Amino acid sequence: MFFRVMDKSRLDDLVRGLAKQFEVVGPVAKGDAFVFGKIEDPSLLRLDYDTTILPPKKYFVPQSEEILNFRTADGSVTADSAEVASRVLLGVHPCDLNALMLMDNIFLGEFEDPYYKSRRENTLLIGVSCEPRQECFCNAWNTDEVHWGFDIFLTDLGDRFFVSVRSVKGAELLDRYVTTREIEPGDTADFQRKTREFKDSFSADLDTAQIPLLLDAKFDDPVWDELGQRCLSCGACSMVCPTCYCFDIKDRLTPDGTHGARVRVWDSCQFSEFAEVAHGHNFRESRASRVKYRYYHKQWGYLSKFERVLCVGCGRCQRACKADISPRVVIEALQGGASR
Amino acid sequence: MNGNAAEAYRQLKANPYRPWPARITSITELTETEKLFEFRLIDEDVREAFNFDSGQFVELSIFGVGEAPISISSAPSKQGFIELCVREAGDVTRALHAKQCGDIVGLRGPFGRGFPFEEMKGHDVLLVAGGLGIAPLKSLINHIHDERHDFGKVTILYGSKNPAEVLFRSQFDMWRHREDFDLVMTVDQPDPTWDGEIGLVTKLFDRIDVDPANTYGAICGPPVMYRFVIDEMRKKQMDVDRIYVSFERRMKCGIGKCGHCGVGHQYACVDGPVFNYWEAMNLQEAI
Repeated sequence: MFFRVMDKSRLDDLVRGLAKQFEVVGPVAKGDAFVFGKIEDPSLLRLDYDTTILPPKKYFVPQSEEILNFRTADGSVTADSAEVASRVLLGVHPCDLNALMLMDNIFLGEFEDPYYKSRRENTLLIGVSCEPRQECFCNAWNTDEVHWGFDIFLTDLGDRFFVSVRSVKGAELLDRYVTTREIEPGDTADFQRKTREFKDSFSADLDTAQIPLLLDAKFDDPVWDELGQRCLSCGACSMVCPTCYCFDIKDRLTPDGTHGARVRVWDSCQFSEFAEVAHGHNFRESRASRVKYRYYHKQWGYLSKFERVLCVGCGRCQRACKADISPRVVIEALQGGASR
Repeated sequence: MNGNAAEAYRQLKANPYRPWPARITSITELTETEKLFEFRLIDEDVREAFNFDSGQFVELSIFGVGEAPISISSAPSKQGFIELCVREAGDVTRALHAKQCGDIVGLRGPFGRGFPFEEMKGHDVLLVAGGLGIAPLKSLINHIHDERHDFGKVTILYGSKNPAEVLFRSQFDMWRHREDFDLVMTVDQPDPTWDGEIGLVTKLFDRIDVDPANTYGAICGPPVMYRFVIDEMRKKQMDVDRIYVSFERRMKCGIGKCGHCGVGHQYACVDGPVFNYWEAMNLQEAI
């Protein structure tokens, strides 16, 4: 990787330059929160955002997406990948960049998903450093740092950005649209100081010791019933999660019934019918079993295949949950009973 | 594989969500709620590229209604046609039951991990089915039949609720009298015509001899059946990793992405639906 330094006043040049070639998406204010949205005016870009309501996954797996079109009579199918805009996601935090790499394991592994793939290939990622909020626990999973999976990463050093350049495309864009300079020893020193301050500013550590194993060892623990009684099965945790990828597939017909589309929509394992089979048997009828499954899958199921937990500690689910259920709450409950 | 088939295979893999048109070539009413459908993939190259193992499943599309995962009932050795034994249970299967011979549906697959046919060769096989669980096992039974000389003793225990719900009855009635298959059928609720056994399928274990060091087990049935059948196999000293079970779950995508078929830490659609019992024991809430 190589590095450059960009004066903060140059950010507008970068956004304007990118907009000539791409749809530029970044964090913008919405009420008292932030969302990823199209940047029409560079002054609306808010790289100082804390987090967004929804993660960037909506640009790779939209909430609702046609994956096939068909003619009902003879079953002839067109399954062309959607026309995908060339897009830049500007201002993505390390947690969300890491989350995309976890999604890649699912969508770009065995049985490559052509829709996800085309969006992934047509999207450039420009990361930005952040300040930990009270809910953040990315440091527990080592997802507070990101070393690849982006084109450019901007670390905020106050008056300037320490720019990490990962890809050829990223290097070209910097070259074309913005004035940068070479790094000097003082820049690297400031980068290190900034990193240290960042690492020191997280709230209390989360004790993740042996969590995958504890999920099995405490599978019948009463803690799950207690959490199940609180859970509203609203699925908000899944919707706001940057690593929740589950979906449903439905057919929609034109009014005359001659044509239709097969549509993929976001789904959640917290919904009551998620694990129901055709003749009505439901493998996870109780809320407790569904809450447990979500954590079991994220911190053991996925890990058993990919050696990473399916969580990046972004804290969105904690903010979204009306019943105060979050990874922190669940993990602390599982660790409960141990003398510390 | 010729050039066209290789291209068809590439296309099959290029978009795993894409169903391929298949014509219904035969429909046999088996019971009040189950029909046996035979399909032929219309594209010749796709047809040639479609190879499967017993225990694998396909996603059946009724365009405008949706998809349902159905295990394949025919043997891999039967070329060119795919048989699915389908119970009318949900929207998709109801719509399929309303179809006629010659109608076109969509199929994609095959998906999942089937029974370890090659590994089972040279051994005795004990197959236990309950109800519709006979559907995937029929594929395995027919495959064994086609390569019968590669197997030792083959025992089939098949339990149904009542005689009217016995599937593939004419075929099994014929097989009951064969020397090279030991087939025993039982029902919970007999009628005057029933000349088979009466009672739960687990009761049949009293009358069979099993050579535990040399026997593979294969079980498929309703969720409640597994524990009891496995107990019987364990009483016969069969090894946990030679007892195979096939799980029904809601495989919506079939390719390890949609999450609906999660069982314990795995997905039934890609890690299963066939697991050996040691694996299944390690899957929370599987049995």
